[in-house]
Formats: sequence, C-alpha cells, structure tokens
Amino acid sequence: MTARPLPVPDEISAPYWAAAAGHVLAIARCARCGSFALPPDQACPHCRSTDPDYAFEPVSGRGTVRSWTVIRQSGLPGFASEVPFVLVDVELAEQPELRMIGRLLDGPAALEGPAALEGPAALDGPGEPPLRLGAPVRVGFEDVAPGVAIPAFTLAAAARPGEEP
Amino acid sequence: MTGRGFTARGKVAVVGYAQSAIQRHAGRPLGAITLETARAAIADAGLTNADIDGVVTSALFPTAGSHDVQDGVSSVPATWLAERLRGAGAGAGDAPRYVAGFHGIGQIPGMVGMAVNAVASGAADNVLVYRALHNPPGKYHANTMERAAGPAQWTAPQGFFGPLAMIGLPYTEYLQRYGARREAMAAVLVEARKNGARIPWSHWYKRPLTAAEYLAAPMISDPVCRYDCDIPVDGVAAFVLTSAERAADLPHRPVYVAGYASGLPATRRLPLHWPLDDIMDVGAETARRLWESSGVGPDEVDLPQLYDGFSPFVYFWLEALGFCPRGEAHRFVQDGRIDSDRPDALPVLSGGGALGNGRMHGIPQMLECYLQLSGRAGDRQRVGATVGLACHSSPHYGGAVVYTAEPRR
Repeated sequence: MTARPLPVPDEISAPYWAAAAGHVLAIARCARCGSFALPPDQACPHCRSTDPDYAFEPVSGRGTVRSWTVIRQSGLPGFASEVPFVLVDVELAEQPELRMIGRLLDGPAALEGPAALEGPAALDGPGEPPLRLGAPVRVGFEDVAPGVAIPAFTLAAAARPGEEP
Repeated sequence: MTGRGFTARGKVAVVGYAQSAIQRHAGRPLGAITLETARAAIADAGLTNADIDGVVTSALFPTAGSHDVQDGVSSVPATWLAERLRGAGAGAGDAPRYVAGFHGIGQIPGMVGMAVNAVASGAADNVLVYRALHNPPGKYHANTMERAAGPAQWTAPQGFFGPLAMIGLPYTEYLQRYGARREAMAAVLVEARKNGARIPWSHWYKRPLTAAEYLAAPMISDPVCRYDCDIPVDGVAAFVLTSAERAADLPHRPVYVAGYASGLPATRRLPLHWPLDDIMDVGAETARRLWESSGVGPDEVDLPQLYDGFSPFVYFWLEALGFCPRGEAHRFVQDGRIDSDRPDALPVLSGGGALGNGRMHGIPQMLECYLQLSGRAGDRQRVGATVGLACHSSPHYGGAVVYTAEPRR
C-alpha cells in the first residue's frame, strides 16, 4: 500500500511537527504582535514583521466547523484506501479567523442523522446531522509513520450553558 | 470620476482572433498548435507576423498533478512563441520588442491587462495575446508526492489537495449558509452546455446536458460532482490587440477595452484555502475596481460572461458583480433568467463558458465578448449588445475585463 505524503519539517515548522508527534497542537505565535499564524509565513500575517520569531504554543485544540467537503477521489498517494473521507475547515477557538483544515475522523457518517454515530456527538438533537456549520470539534491525531502524527479533528459535544466543554 | 480612472480606456482594441479545436487530446505538440493559432489570429487581424512586436501570455499549466512542465508540450511561454513567430531568415533585430508573461491567478484578465498596458504605453504597437492549455496523459491531478515540503506540508499530509477540494469547501459554505440546494446548479450546467453545443470548436459541440444527467453524475468532492468541473483539454486561442487608431484601418470591427481589474486578498490562508467570505468580500473590491477602471456600471453590461471553471464561480461572480444580492444567485439562475435565448434574460454563459467548451480558462468568456461585439458571432449573433464583461477565476484572486463596441472615454 502506498504511503501518504509525510510533512517535511523546515526551519520554521519543525516545532509544530515535533509537538504533533506527541499529539499536541502547537500553533506559531508571533513574538512581535502575539498573534497566532497558520501557516507561519516568512512575514507575520498580522503585523507583517519579517522577524516574527515564532514560538509554538500549545492551544486548546477546540474549534468550530466553518465548512467541509467529502473527498471521493484523491489525487494523492495513500488516500485511495481512505476515500470517502471528510475534510473540515475549522476556526480554532484561540483567535478569530485562525483557520485550519484537516480530516474529520468521524467520517461521512457525521453527515447522516445522529443515529449513525456513537459517542457524544449522538447526543445532539434528533434529525440534524452532527456535522453542520458551527459544530464544535476537537483536534485529534493520526499516527501515519514512526514519529509522525498529522493533526485532524473529531466532533465534540456541544457545551451546555455555563459548562466548560 | 477623478484620479483612479483608467487613462487607456477605449484606446486599445481587439482586432482579430483564432481559436483551435478544443479536444481531449490533440495528438500534436501544443507548441505547434499554438504557433498555427497565433499565425491565424495575426492573419485574421489583417496583419503579418512582422507587424507583431509584442507577445504576451500566461503560461501556467494548471495541474496539481506530477506532470512535467515542458515548454512547447505542456506549456507555451511567451518567449517560446516569440522565438518561433518570425519567418525564416529573420534576425535578432526582428524579434518582438515586448515579450512578457502574467504570473498570477486570473490569467486571462491578467495577460490582457499587460497587453493593453504595452499598447497604451507604446512598448509595443501590435500585441499577440494567447493562452495554450494542455491535457496531459493520465489523471489530470494525480500526484505521486511522498513528502510534502514548504506550503504543501500544511495541507497534503492532511488530505487537503487540489482544486476540487478547494472549491468544495466554499461551495458547502454557500449551500449551508443560504439554504441552497445543489439541484439549483443544474440550471447553470444546462445553460453552459446548451451554448457550448452550438460552438463548432467546443469539446462539447452538439452535446448538450440535461438536468437529469447533471444530477446523476458521480460526486468527486461533495458537493462538487463531475459536471461542476470543466473538462481538461488541449486547446489554444489567440487575439491581436492594437491601438484604436491603427484598429480603424484593419478589416474587422474593433472591440475596445474599457478597463480591467483583478483582486488580491489581504488575509493569508493555507494553500488553496478559499473561504466564502474571502471570495465575496475581496470580490466586492474587485468589482468596485472594475467599474472604476472601465467607467461602466453593472446595469450597462449586456454580456456578462461569468467564469465557470467550477460551477459555483457563476454564483460568486453574479453576486460579486452586483447582478443579484449575496445568497440569491442560486435562485437568480432559475426559471430561464440566464437563458441566452430569452431576450429578457441575463446571458451570463452565452459563449458556453469553460463548462460548455472545455478547460480553456477564461478564453470562452473573452472570445464571446469579442465575437458578439465585433458582429462576428455568425448564427449566434446577438442584436444590440454593446458592452461585454469577461471574468476569469475567482472574484477574490481573479479578475475581469470590460469590452465595448464603441470606444469609451
């Protein structure tokens, strides 16, 4: 079976992938303006500093779904055996418009009624698919090679009022 | 209008064209087809090769797959063509003096803008503008990458790859936000293919599509199905641009460039991440720049040729250009309101678009504006059209050109 493409850590991104290997989502934060940056560009995407001196800071891993697509044909090696799979466009909780794209590990069943799912996502109201705009997600990780884990997402139960999710 | 008005408005005209057959696989090198098409366009304009002192294109080979970029085979840069344009015995002193390529997204308005600037500035008198597109053997977007370096590390290991996933995300956002159904898009596909079926050089000539066929097509990247995406082809189109003064002495009725604009988002995103709000917010600025550049407003446009390489772009352009409110395009396209055969409709795909011709980027939109406004559309000629608008790519990264039958000032 062909393997999925593996990330090549570089001068900027190495701490991101090192943290991911330990199942920690650590996002680059600009030392000049304090904003999170994904991807961490050569110039900070917020203050445009060319010396952002990023520090990778663990984040909550919580976010909300802004959109999704179900991949039924993938041009990449290693994904042929994975289709159909769901990609979600997630806004992370730490900063408005801090967006990240990853697989939704719940799979296409998340687009069917709640009965198709087990676990916390199934507790939502009847009839509505658990995957919808604004649905809460948490980061998860796929171990794809020794020492390499890829961030992904899973549906999280919606927080009740006054309760920390 | 003060300050930002386009000083070349109405001073540059399209005076000739040629369009090759649009085929899945031409069976001949793309460079040879490009040279023939270029020479045909020059002759059509009533000029000779020696008259052409400017050559402009956008040479991008728009595949996400691991296909070689080979000049003359899968891509035809302006230098490649310029080196071969002259007849035997021509020396270096005969070479075109302005040879340039557009490097951004929205290649057709981008390269037309460069050609207009060259003519208006005197950098060249007569500019050949062309686009050559190639369909390689094998799957168009198949990639064998084992390692994802640079920008791809943030997307490919996660399975986010290629333009179908790219457009699937904002299309889902659109459907969910506005309560639209993907069935509504059948009206767009049926219209594009109806018009493409009437165009002899189209890949889809004599092959219209029914709504039932559209809705039965397999999904590729939900909610994008096979027919929401233009089909990859081999094909070349070429145009000649010159000054309005010289155009008056040439055989065909000139079509004038009133203005052009492109967009560029300020927000940094992951590669190929095109959220709906980026598309529409930046698209509104693209439209504002277009009206400012051209001195034309949306109410004056007879032929808004919207880009449709992916069908949701038709919705996005309809709304960005102000032809309907945001979130309403999926309703606007129903009930014959974009049917080019109805005199009261907005003919946004009368040239068949990319969905009705094949993956020619924004060429079908530009060609339809040229053919209709120059009175050269033959059986498809529309009466009374004087202002055309040709879009390409997305409203936030692409752009558009406004063409007029009479020079605007």
